[in-house]
Amino acid sequence: MNRIKIVLAQNGTFIALIVMIAFFASMNPRFLSLANGQTILLQIAELGIIALPLAFLIMAGTLDLSVGSVASLSAVVSAMVMMEFNSTVLGFIAAILVGAITGALNGLLIAYLKLNPLVITLGFLSVWGGLALFLTQGSTLVGFPDTFKQIGTASIGPVPLQIIILAAGVLFAWYILNRNSLGRNVLAIGGNRRAAHLMGVRVPGTVFSLFVATGVCAAISGTLLAAKLQSAPPTVGNGMEIQALTVVLLGGVALEGGMGRITGVVSGLLFVGVLRNGLVIMGVSQFLQTILIGATLVIAVLLDGSVQRLVKKSWNTVETKKPGQPGQPEQPNQPEQPKQPALVGQ
Amino acid sequence: MRYGSTLAVDGIDLSVQPGEIVGLLGHNGAGKSTLLNVATGAAAATSGDLWLDGERLPAGSTPGSIAQAGITVIHQEPALASNLSILENLFLARHHTPARHDRARRAREALDSVGAGTLRLDALVGSLTLGERQLVDLARGYLAGEMKVLLLDEPTAALGAAETEALHGLIRQLASQGTAVIYVSHRLPDILEVCQRIVVLRGGRLVLDQSAAGMSVAALSAALAPEVDFDSEWLPEVGEERLVVTDDDGQLVFRDGEIVGLFGMAAGEQFDLVAALFGLGRPPVATLSGRRYKAITPRHAIKQGVHLVPADREVDGLVVGMSAIDNTFLPWRGRFRRSTLVKQYATIRDTLKVVGPDGDAPIASFSGGNRQKHLLARWVFPVAPRVLLLAQPTQGVDIGAKHDIKLALRALAATGVSIVIASAETDEIASLCDRSYVLAHGRHRELHRSGGYEERLLRTLLDLTSAERSPA
Repeated sequence: MNRIKIVLAQNGTFIALIVMIAFFASMNPRFLSLANGQTILLQIAELGIIALPLAFLIMAGTLDLSVGSVASLSAVVSAMVMMEFNSTVLGFIAAILVGAITGALNGLLIAYLKLNPLVITLGFLSVWGGLALFLTQGSTLVGFPDTFKQIGTASIGPVPLQIIILAAGVLFAWYILNRNSLGRNVLAIGGNRRAAHLMGVRVPGTVFSLFVATGVCAAISGTLLAAKLQSAPPTVGNGMEIQALTVVLLGGVALEGGMGRITGVVSGLLFVGVLRNGLVIMGVSQFLQTILIGATLVIAVLLDGSVQRLVKKSWNTVETKKPGQPGQPEQPNQPEQPKQPALVGQ
Repeated sequence: MRYGSTLAVDGIDLSVQPGEIVGLLGHNGAGKSTLLNVATGAAAATSGDLWLDGERLPAGSTPGSIAQAGITVIHQEPALASNLSILENLFLARHHTPARHDRARRAREALDSVGAGTLRLDALVGSLTLGERQLVDLARGYLAGEMKVLLLDEPTAALGAAETEALHGLIRQLASQGTAVIYVSHRLPDILEVCQRIVVLRGGRLVLDQSAAGMSVAALSAALAPEVDFDSEWLPEVGEERLVVTDDDGQLVFRDGEIVGLFGMAAGEQFDLVAALFGLGRPPVATLSGRRYKAITPRHAIKQGVHLVPADREVDGLVVGMSAIDNTFLPWRGRFRRSTLVKQYATIRDTLKVVGPDGDAPIASFSGGNRQKHLLARWVFPVAPRVLLLAQPTQGVDIGAKHDIKLALRALAATGVSIVIASAETDEIASLCDRSYVLAHGRHRELHRSGGYEERLLRTLLDLTSAERSPA
C-alpha cells in the first residue's frame, strides 16, 4: 500500500501529464495526432537538452540560472564564426567553447571558491545576455552556410534530428544517474556534501564538471535553436533558464538536492511541452501562456516539499520484507561468531 | 503508538512520582524514542493519554504546549541556534519573555541553577562544548517555568567523565526539588549511578520495572539482552607492523590483526589523529607497510586502504535521503555490478543482524544502531581495508548492537586487518581493545589489557594532562 503511495508521489507529474493530454484531446481531436506529437517533441528538444544537465546540478545541491544567456551567446558567436569562415564545423566548435568557458567560470566560482550559485549564475545571466546583445548590437544574424541550415530541418528516417539528440541525451542521462557511479556521487554530494567528501568523492571536481557539461549543453541547445530558426537572434535563449528550472522541479528533483529521477525530468519536460502546445491549439493568448508556465514553476516548488515529505514518511511505514517481524523490531543476539570473514575482500 | 504496520510501543503504562529518577533502557528500536516523542508531543499516540499532576493533557498537544505545561526534554544534541548568543537562545521563542532589563538577571539565575554559572551570556552557542550546550538547553527548560518533568535522551553519550559527573549532580539536585526525571541512556553505569528505578523496554513492551537498589551492570545487561555473552575472551593473532605513527614521545605501532585503542579527552586529540590519518587535517609523520604514508584527502587515504568510520554518523557518514543499499556501497559504486550489490547487501544484513525496512528504503528510516551497522558495513565489506580507523564506533548504540559490532570487528581483525579505535570512553576502549595508547598534549602512553584496565586508562590520562600543567 505504502509502496503504491511512494510510486504515485514520485510520478505525480506523469499522472498530471496524462490528465492534461486527455483534457486537450477532448477539447480538440487534432491534438492527439502523430504530427502534433512530433511538433511537441520538436518544440521541447532544445529545452530538454538544457534541462537534463541542470537536473544533475540541482541534484548535486547547486543551480545554474545562466543557461538561457549562454544559449543566446553561443548561438550568436557560432553564427558570427560560421559567417566569417563559412564553416559549420568551426561554428559548432566555437559554440561548444563558449559553453565550456562559461560553465568553467561558474564551476570555478561556485565549486572551488564556494560562492553562492544563485547570485553568481544570476549575475552571469545578465553578463552573457548583455554580451550577446552587444556583439550583435541587438540585431538578428542571418545568412548561415547551407549545411547549417540543413541541420535545422534534418531528420533520420522520419524522425527529426533534434528529437534524436534529445532521446540520446535522455538515455545518456539515465545511464549516468542509475548505472554509473557518477550518478550516485552527484546524489551523495547533494544529500550530504561532507559525508560525500569523507567517502572519497571529489566534491568540487564533480560539481565543476557538471557546470562545464551544463554550459556545453546550453551552447548546443542555443545553436540547434538557431539552426531551426535559420537565424541567430541575440535573445534566442531568453527565458530558457526559467523553463528548464520548471521542467526539473516538475520532474520531482528536490530543490535542496540529493534526490531526483530522469523519468521524472522527462515527465516534467513533456508536461511543459504539452501545456504549451495545448494552449496554442486552444488559441490562448501568448501572454497568458507565459503567465501559466510561470505559475507551473511556482506550483512545482509548492509541491516539491510536500512530495518529498510524503515519500519520506511512506518509506517509514513500508512493510519489512525480510528479517524482523512487526512489533518485534529487535531480534535476540546470538553470541556465535558471525560468518563475516568469508565476505571480506570479495 | 503505531507507525504503519509496526507497533512501536504497545500498552506501556509508565508513571513517575515527583522527585523520582527513572532510568529508561532498551535496544535501538525497542521504543524508547517513541515513548519520549509521545511524551513531548513530537508524535501523536494512536491510543492512550498523557497525564500530568492528575490532569489529562488534551489530545493533539503540540511540543510547544507540552513544554508550557512543565515538561522539558534534553536531547543528546540540543536544539539551539548556534549563531546566537546564550542570552538570545535562552529567550528564543518563549511566550513569556521578561522585560529587557530583567533578562540578563533571569538568565544568570537560570545558568547558575543548572551549574553553568561560569558561562558568559554573550558567548555564541556555537562556540560551546556539547556539555555546555546541554546545560544551556537545561537552563532554557528552567526558564520556561516550573520543571515538573525532565526527560533526558542520551544526555551523556558524547560527554566526558567530568561533564557526566556534573550533569548527574544536577539531575539529583533537580529531583530533590521535586522534578520527576526520566533518563534514557545506553550507558548502564550512568543509569545505575543516578537512577532510583529502572524500566526496561524490549520490542515495544515493558519487560522490567524495579528499584535500582542492588542492581548491577551485569544484571541489567541480562535484562536487556538475555543471550549476550559479555566476557568472551579473545586472543588476537598479531601480524606484522602495518601502520607506524611518530610523535614527540616516539612511535605508535599498529599491527595486522590487532584492535588498538586511542584514548583521550572528549573531543581530544585521538580524534584529530584518526582524522589526520584519513586525510583530514595536517598529515602526521607515519609509515604504512614500511613506506612513507601521506594522505592529503580522504580519497587518497581510501586508495591506500585506510578507511575511517566517523563518529558523527549523521553529519559525516550517511546521506540521509539515500537508500540503505546506496549508502552502503557509495564509495565503491563503480567497482560492482548491480546484481552483485543486491546479493552482497543481503549477506551483510544477515552478518550484522540488521533490522529494519528493506534496502531500498532511505537510510533515515532505520534506527540508530542499524544506521551505524550500515556505516560500518560500508567501510568493511565491499572493499576490505588494510587499516580501519573508527571514531567512537559504539557511541549512542545499544548494548546488543555494541556486541554485534564488537564481534564484527574481531572477525575483521582475524582476517588480518589492522583496526584503530579512537574514543573518549574507557568502557568502549576496554571492551574492544587489547592494547591502547592514551593521548594528551602531544604525548602518549601505551597500556595493555589487564586488571583495572579502565581505571588505569583514566589515571594515565590524568597523569598526562596534569604533567602538562606543572612541568616537573
